[in-house]
Amino acid sequence: MKGVKKLVNKRVKCTGCSLLCDDIIVRGDGLYIDEVIGACLKGKEKFEQITGKNRILSPLVRDKGELKKVSLDTALERSIEIMKESSKPLLYGFSTVSCQAQLKGIELAKSINGFIDSNSVICQGKVLNTAKEMGLTLATISEVINKTDLLILWGANAAESIPRLLNKILFSRGKFRMTGREIKTLIIIDPVKTASFGVMGVRDLSLNIDPGKDIELIRVLKEECCTPSGFPADGVAGIDQDDLKRLLIQITNAENAVIFIGQGILSSQTSVNVVHELLDLVHMINIKQQKGRMSIMMLGGHYNMAGFDQVALSLFGKNHSLQFFDNNLVETSETIISKLSKEDFDCSIIVGTDPISHLPWKLSKALMSKPLILIDNKKSATFNVADVILPSSLTGIECEGLAYRLDHVPIELQKIVNPPNNIISDEELLSKLISRLNPI
Amino acid sequence: MELYKFLPKTNCKKCGKPTCMAFALDLLQGKVKIDDCPPLLEPKYKKNYNTLKELIGSEEGKEKELRIDVETDLCDGCGICVTVCPVNARYCPPTLSGKAPDYPPEKHQLFQVKAGKCELLAIKYCRRIEAQGRERECRVCETYCPRDAIKIDYV
Repeated sequence: MKGVKKLVNKRVKCTGCSLLCDDIIVRGDGLYIDEVIGACLKGKEKFEQITGKNRILSPLVRDKGELKKVSLDTALERSIEIMKESSKPLLYGFSTVSCQAQLKGIELAKSINGFIDSNSVICQGKVLNTAKEMGLTLATISEVINKTDLLILWGANAAESIPRLLNKILFSRGKFRMTGREIKTLIIIDPVKTASFGVMGVRDLSLNIDPGKDIELIRVLKEECCTPSGFPADGVAGIDQDDLKRLLIQITNAENAVIFIGQGILSSQTSVNVVHELLDLVHMINIKQQKGRMSIMMLGGHYNMAGFDQVALSLFGKNHSLQFFDNNLVETSETIISKLSKEDFDCSIIVGTDPISHLPWKLSKALMSKPLILIDNKKSATFNVADVILPSSLTGIECEGLAYRLDHVPIELQKIVNPPNNIISDEELLSKLISRLNPI
Repeated sequence: MELYKFLPKTNCKKCGKPTCMAFALDLLQGKVKIDDCPPLLEPKYKKNYNTLKELIGSEEGKEKELRIDVETDLCDGCGICVTVCPVNARYCPPTLSGKAPDYPPEKHQLFQVKAGKCELLAIKYCRRIEAQGRERECRVCETYCPRDAIKIDYV
């Protein structure tokens, strides 16, 4: 029937952030999305990106300083030219694409003797790297909903970075305990009074730590766990003695505690490895107390950041910074940051991220000085300096794929609508590049 | 204590309570009305009677209308209000595990997140109107909103 819309009420997964909420209701006619119900502001923006004015709709090539619309073939040819000219290509991004595309990206890096890195190197990769020697206790979201009685937000502002996280973990009522917020204690350790402090109740503990002094707090807690000798009278790192005592009682008596670590810990400015010390503390508490356990959850931002870690770990035993030569992995201690600061590259392929606005000016400048191929779906600062731009469809909305949630649980993403202009997915784009590089 | 100040404080037991203090406590919880105290109706306590009526009026909100304001500029659609609201918890089972309620919304459902912003659907089922006793003082959504976007008042 003409003019009558077929209504669809469908529960879908949202790729707005790494929480990958699976309860978003989308209403539409199968061609367009009319309404998004249940998603936060971040998720809603993601769904609106389909028709957003920021969307890249056609392949572009920079010619004499100006971007020109070209066909996909021309753009692919141009990128192949750039890749063939270079001997030290750099691949970066891969945290907002599906795992299938990440596999293809690694394959591409292999075939062009490239260096591949994901956003995880400046985020949660540090924890996984450290965990190789220490071991890591992870928890899943449903475990947190149903069992946890102590939540610690350490250097993380979950209320703003992952808006629905607190809703899911703190306020939900678990299956095994019918009460929700009442039995869950929240401890926030942060130098800034963030929006997350707004959910604090009476029993909760807010600790305003001095900036950069997390290490002191961790060391004191470790000492106290081994040999209880009392805290120093004037407190540690800006936290007074009473609060320290309460914190120790909470973390040693909790049956099922989870530490959510955010950018405050992951990219801390101190020279010592805070992550190492923190994992050590968790390990120590787990040995000491018999009745429960303490686990760690990393709050990455991009929706499939954990995915690249998993893919690379399963293939090569290294979660980021993979250097290939002659189809083999080469031992290297370099990361994207060291590569950029030394300018040890001659072209870059950026997939689904915006390093020009994320990285410091010095590194962005180095990135801008060499040819840049961008595979992305939205206009960003990187878009303005790229030489070749290949548009891709939105994974989870316009094409299928697999993604890993922040608790390292694989989630299958779905296709809801068709992409505009028959844009192909990241996976297909990368495999086209590979097939053109190595014609059979 | 505020209410006790304005009672006759004679412990006459005409209201059926042992002391005026007990009457004040019951008055606070909404179990008795001001008119249940016979001496208060006498002309010499008229001033106290009027003050009490004002106090009770503001606490119970019987004469004023309940309004829940959601400031859309501040709201970021985290959905905490949807999960914590006791009425939602009773009628929309998915909210028990922190999920978004079904669509179309159940008739008792108070809050709903639509297009990234929180929406108030049916205020008439709010605990502040329907429930009795202590449940009537429910302010969960206002307390736990991390952005302070929800305001409960009487107009």
